[in-house]
Amino acid sequence: MSDDVMAEIHRDYLFNLILKGERDDGRAFDEFRDITIETGVAGMAEGSALVTLGDTQILVGIKIQPGEPFPDTPDVGVIITNTELIPMASPDYEAGPPRETAIEIARVVDRGIRESKAIDLEKLCMVKGEKVWIIFIDIHVLNNGGNIIDAASIGSIAALLSTTLPAERYGLGEDSPLPVRDIPVAVTAIEFGGELLLDPSLEEGKLAGTVYTVITNSDGSISGMQKSGAEPLTIDQVMRVVEMAGTAAAKIREKFLEV
Amino acid sequence: MERNIVIPGDVVSDNVKMSGSGTYVHGDEVRASVYGLLNIGERYISVIPLAGKYIPHASDRVIGIITEVAYSNWIVDINSPYDGLLHISQYPRRIDSENMSRYLKVGDCILTMIASVDAGMKVELTLREKELRVLSDGRIVTINPTKMPRVIGRNGSMIRLLKSEIGCNMFVGQNGRIWINGSDDCIDLAIQTVRYIEDNAHTPGLTERVQAFLKAKEKTRYGKVHESRNDEE
Amino acid sequence: MSEKPEHFIVDGKRLDGRSVDELRPIKIELSPLDRADGSCYLEWGRNKIMAAVYGPRELHPRHRQNMTKAVVQYRYNMAAFSVDDRIRPGHSRRSIEISKVGRDAFEYVVFTKFFPKTAVDIFIEVLQADAGTRTAGINAASLALADAGIPMRGLVSACAVGKVDGEIVLDLMKEEDNFGEADVPIAMTAGGKITHLQMDGNLTKEEFYEALKLAKIGCDKVYKLQRQALIEKYNGEYAENGEDAMPQARIGDADE
Repeated sequence: MSDDVMAEIHRDYLFNLILKGERDDGRAFDEFRDITIETGVAGMAEGSALVTLGDTQILVGIKIQPGEPFPDTPDVGVIITNTELIPMASPDYEAGPPRETAIEIARVVDRGIRESKAIDLEKLCMVKGEKVWIIFIDIHVLNNGGNIIDAASIGSIAALLSTTLPAERYGLGEDSPLPVRDIPVAVTAIEFGGELLLDPSLEEGKLAGTVYTVITNSDGSISGMQKSGAEPLTIDQVMRVVEMAGTAAAKIREKFLEV
Repeated sequence: MERNIVIPGDVVSDNVKMSGSGTYVHGDEVRASVYGLLNIGERYISVIPLAGKYIPHASDRVIGIITEVAYSNWIVDINSPYDGLLHISQYPRRIDSENMSRYLKVGDCILTMIASVDAGMKVELTLREKELRVLSDGRIVTINPTKMPRVIGRNGSMIRLLKSEIGCNMFVGQNGRIWINGSDDCIDLAIQTVRYIEDNAHTPGLTERVQAFLKAKEKTRYGKVHESRNDEE
Repeated sequence: MSEKPEHFIVDGKRLDGRSVDELRPIKIELSPLDRADGSCYLEWGRNKIMAAVYGPRELHPRHRQNMTKAVVQYRYNMAAFSVDDRIRPGHSRRSIEISKVGRDAFEYVVFTKFFPKTAVDIFIEVLQADAGTRTAGINAASLALADAGIPMRGLVSACAVGKVDGEIVLDLMKEEDNFGEADVPIAMTAGGKITHLQMDGNLTKEEFYEALKLAKIGCDKVYKLQRQALIEKYNGEYAENGEDAMPQARIGDADE
C-alpha cells in the first residue's frame, strides 16, 4: 500500500500548524532532525558512512580503482556518483534501472562535490591521458524517511573523508588518505503555505509544491543548487533559503564533519 | 493472564480441537503460524500477532480515504492490501452519478462499514448505517491494526477510559485508523496516549499503566498552567 | 584476491580458528527499518545483510495476481561497494538466479492462501559480502517475514557446508568458498524439510550424506539464534518500556 493520497483533514492540520509557526514533530522551521554518522561500516569499500537523518537511513560506499581519464580532462581523476532507490527503502520504490528522482539526487550530490573542488582531482592523475584514479560514490538508500538529498550529501562527504586510496592493492605505491580539502553540505528547504522549512520530513516533502537545495562550502561559498517541483519561488524566498542553508550547513559541518 | 511470546512453528497444544486464530494444525499438534502473544482461552488457543495488515471482514467499521472517483463507485483506501468500493447507491442519499465528486472527492475521509467481502476479495463498503458519515474535521492517527484490540480494551473499557479522561471524541476503526476530535490539546494528548498503547500493546497491566501515563501528563499540564500564573503575578 | 592456502585445516582448526562444525559469529537486529512492514539486519562473519518485507500488498501489474493466493517475490541485490571490485548496480544473472531460488525457499512456509491477489515482497541487500551471502539472506528474510506478521509454517534456517582438505566443514569462509572442493548451501525448516539446496564442486555420495547431516546441525544452530532474537526483542522492550513508564509516574507523584 503506497500512501500517495493524503487525507484532506491531515493536510489541513499540517497547513494550520505551519500557519501557527509549528511543525508536526515540534521542530523550528530552520531545524534539522537528529543526525548520526557512522563511518567504516562497509568493510569492502575504500570508505563508507551510514547516515541517519530522522528516520532516513542511507549507506554511502566509496570504491576506487585505476582507470582511464576522460579524453577532454586527461590530467585529472574521475568521480562517478550513483544513487540506488532500492525497493527496500519505501513502498513507493520499484526495482529496475534508476528513475529520474534517483538520477537527480546523484547529480546534485555529485555537483556539490565536484564544483566545490572538495577532492583534489589533479592529485588523482597517475599518468596523464592514461591512468587516473576513478572514484565511485554509491549512495544506497535503505529507508526513505524524507529529505534523501541532504542525507546523501552528508553521507557522501563523510564517506569521502574516511576514504583510503587503495594503491597497494593495485601495486601502485602506498595507501594514503583521499585528498579532501573542502566539505560541501547540501541543505534542502520546502515552500509550503508561504513559509520555508528546512529538512522536510517525508510528509512535509509530500505537501511541498517545491523543493530547493543549496550546497555551501566551508568558506560560505555556494557550489550547487537545485530547484525541483512545480511551484515557483520568489526572489526573496530564494535569498532566505541561501541564508538559512549557509547557517545550517555550517552547524552540520562543525558538529559532524570537521577533518 | 500469562502471555508468552511464540514464533511461527512453535507447538502450542496437542489438542487439535483447540486450534484458534494465528495457529495451524500439523499432524496431531497445534502450532503457531504468526509471531505473537500466546492466548490460552477456554475453548481455543490463539496467537495474537504483533504485526500485520488489516484484512477486511463484513460488518467491520473502518476509516477510509477516497483515492479515486470512478464510474458509479468511489475507490477507498482502507489501510489494507485490498481497496474498498463504495457504490453510489451506498451513499446516504440519492445522488446523481454525474457529480459524485461534489459529495466525496479524492482525499476525503469517511467512517464506513464493510458491507461484504467476496471470495475474490472484492470489498464493498456502505455509508447507509447509523454513525457512518464523512469526517470533515478532527485528526486521524494510524497504528498497527494488530494493536487495535488493546486500544479498544475488553468490552470497550480502554476507549471509554481515553474518552472520559481526555475529554475528546474518538472513533476506532478496525483497520488501524483512529479518528479523534476535540480541542488541539486534547487531540495531541489522545494521540500520545494511543502511541503509548501501541508501544506497550504486548505488556500486561496496560490499563493501569495508561492511567498512570495520563495522570503524569495531567500533572505536567496542570504544572504548566500553574507556572504561567506565577509569572503573571 | 588472496592466494590458495596450502592447508585449510591445521590441528583440527580452520584458518579463522574454528573447528569443522562451528559457525562464524552471527549478530541479529530486528526491525531496523521503519518504512518496511518487517525488517532484519544480520551479520554473519563479515557478511552484512539487510532484509525487508513489504506485504501482503496490492500486486502490480494486475495480470500477475493470483486469484487464490499471494505471490511471493524475492529480490537479492548486492550493493556496488559490497565486494572488493565494485560491481555494476542492478541485476546480474547471478543475482537473478539467487533471487529465484530464494523465493522458492519461502513458498512452502508462507501461508499464501490467506491473501489472494496480493504480493509478499522480500528484499535482500548485501552491504558487505564475505562468502555465504545467499544463506545469510535467507536467514535474515525469514526473520523479516516473522517481524512483518506474515503467517508461516515456521522459520527457514540456512547455512552452507563444503569440503576443504578432503574434510566436510560447516559454514564456508571466503578462502574455503573460493578454493574449496565443494559448496552446498542448504535451507530447511526446524522440522528438517529442505526448502533450498544447491551444490557446486565435487563430492562422493558418502561425503554428500555427511554434508547433509552437518548442514542439519548448522541449521539447528542458526534456528536457535533466530528464535532467541525474536523472543528477546519483546522481552527487551518490555524492560525498557517498564523503565520509561515508571519515572514519569513518579515525577507526577513528586509534584503533589
